[in-house]
Amino acid sequence: MMELNIADSDYRTKMTALEALHQVADPELGINIVDLGLVYNIYVDQPGKEITVEMTLSTPSCPLGNFITNHAAVAVESALPDYNATVNLVWEPKWNADRISPQGKAELGW
Amino acid sequence: MKPPDEHIPSKTTIIPYYIVAAFAFVLLSVLCLVAGNAFTGHYFQPRILAITHLAVFGWATMIIFGASNQLTPVICEQRLKSEKLPVVIIALLMAGTGLLVTSFWNFEINALAYTGGILLLTAIVLHAQNIYKTAKAGKETAVRDFMLMAHLWLVITCTLGFILLVNIRYPYLSEDHLHYLRIHASVGMAGWFLQLVIGISSKLVPMFLLSRTEKQKLLNIAYYTINIGLAFFLLEGLVFRTRWGQLFYLVSITTGIIAYTLYIRTCYKTAIRKQLDNGMKQTFLALVLMSLPFILLLAILLTRVDISPNLITAYGFAFFGGFISTIIMGQTFKTLPFIVWMHITKPNTLPEVLPKDLFNEKWVKVQMLLYLPGYLLFLSGILVKLVLLIYAGSILMIVASSLYLLHVVLIVKKLK
Repeated sequence: MMELNIADSDYRTKMTALEALHQVADPELGINIVDLGLVYNIYVDQPGKEITVEMTLSTPSCPLGNFITNHAAVAVESALPDYNATVNLVWEPKWNADRISPQGKAELGW
Repeated sequence: MKPPDEHIPSKTTIIPYYIVAAFAFVLLSVLCLVAGNAFTGHYFQPRILAITHLAVFGWATMIIFGASNQLTPVICEQRLKSEKLPVVIIALLMAGTGLLVTSFWNFEINALAYTGGILLLTAIVLHAQNIYKTAKAGKETAVRDFMLMAHLWLVITCTLGFILLVNIRYPYLSEDHLHYLRIHASVGMAGWFLQLVIGISSKLVPMFLLSRTEKQKLLNIAYYTINIGLAFFLLEGLVFRTRWGQLFYLVSITTGIIAYTLYIRTCYKTAIRKQLDNGMKQTFLALVLMSLPFILLLAILLTRVDISPNLITAYGFAFFGGFISTIIMGQTFKTLPFIVWMHITKPNTLPEVLPKDLFNEKWVKVQMLLYLPGYLLFLSGILVKLVLLIYAGSILMIVASSLYLLHVVLIVKKLK
């Protein structure tokens, strides 16, 4: 699961974005994308008012992938209306079970 | 923002297929009750022919066509070649099934029966070419190959079926009609249904279970052994007409099924998602139930079928009533809620509901708890030739299928 550095100058903005991303669930699993460990990074461009969410999907051929990425951008922009959010979908590093939070694991029946 | 519906076909290409299939499922169960007596006799019987063709076209093929209109674009990452054609195809399928089933039921093989056969063959060729054109432009994968080959076998099966339909009234085939009927049925079951189930499930099962390892090699083995076995079976039955190759095609097809089972086992063993929902539990149940027709097939090969033709009826029923119906009932609730969800969810607002909120998980379980004993009672009734068991089984199947229909309608109503 993604962790934030409190010493980061954009910590507050990133924290708000991360909290907003908790509202976005994987439609099949019903678990939010943060607890699933699908969110890898959040980049903030303060002068340009741009936020980039770097994330992956549980499977590359996920038919609902575009829904998830669109909803991630919508959630961030709703929480931070002054910013423009973009989602950058990446496949490296490959997503695995180690990235799932304890809560996510419990919901998956571990 | 990327449009979320990049490869998602319109709802008219999918939803009507699910609804019509659910109605056919209820009708099928009712006809099983009405014609209960017929199941204790010979399998070449008007009522059994009618019920089988309703099961094949009205129930299984109908829903599979709808699902493949949804899944082919996803698997091949292409838009469905034609979105208008599925509307024509469903009309042809419904009319063709209606005419053919009525003709078989009354055993009036006349112009209406032939019209039904032609309508069905047209629907199948149109669907197959729409899927072929969509898949051709997509990525080359084992799943795509299974789907394309399954459609090819469907066209072969239906062509054979039409030849047989003509042969009932105007006998012209050199061998006994039942010889060709067995080829027609077996090619349809293994070539169309089994391969399509293997193809689609090899994509969906690891996706739903979040499997980390997918042994593609096993799928490739399954693909080649099943198709070589089937081609050999067809040639042997139509051209060579010997029995020496029986062992070869049986071993070949069985090897394919074992390879597929191992593939699914690996998917399950490496699954991140350990808790199975009822839809997935039913899918695994269906895979277990797949062993029943095999046991019965073995019994058929080891015994004299002329003494116990009900074994063949049981074999067909075990395949459709058990394996195919169970997998469809389970996968309906793994696909339909998602299809509906994709159409009610807007890309620029966060969804208020998830697919799992669009159906009732408990109902899915209740449906199967009613259906499974119904199926087993019915199958036992065929085997021991006891009509009472057949009646009891079909009543449970009617209740289960009615609940299934209601459930499907309630999900679809969420589109409004």
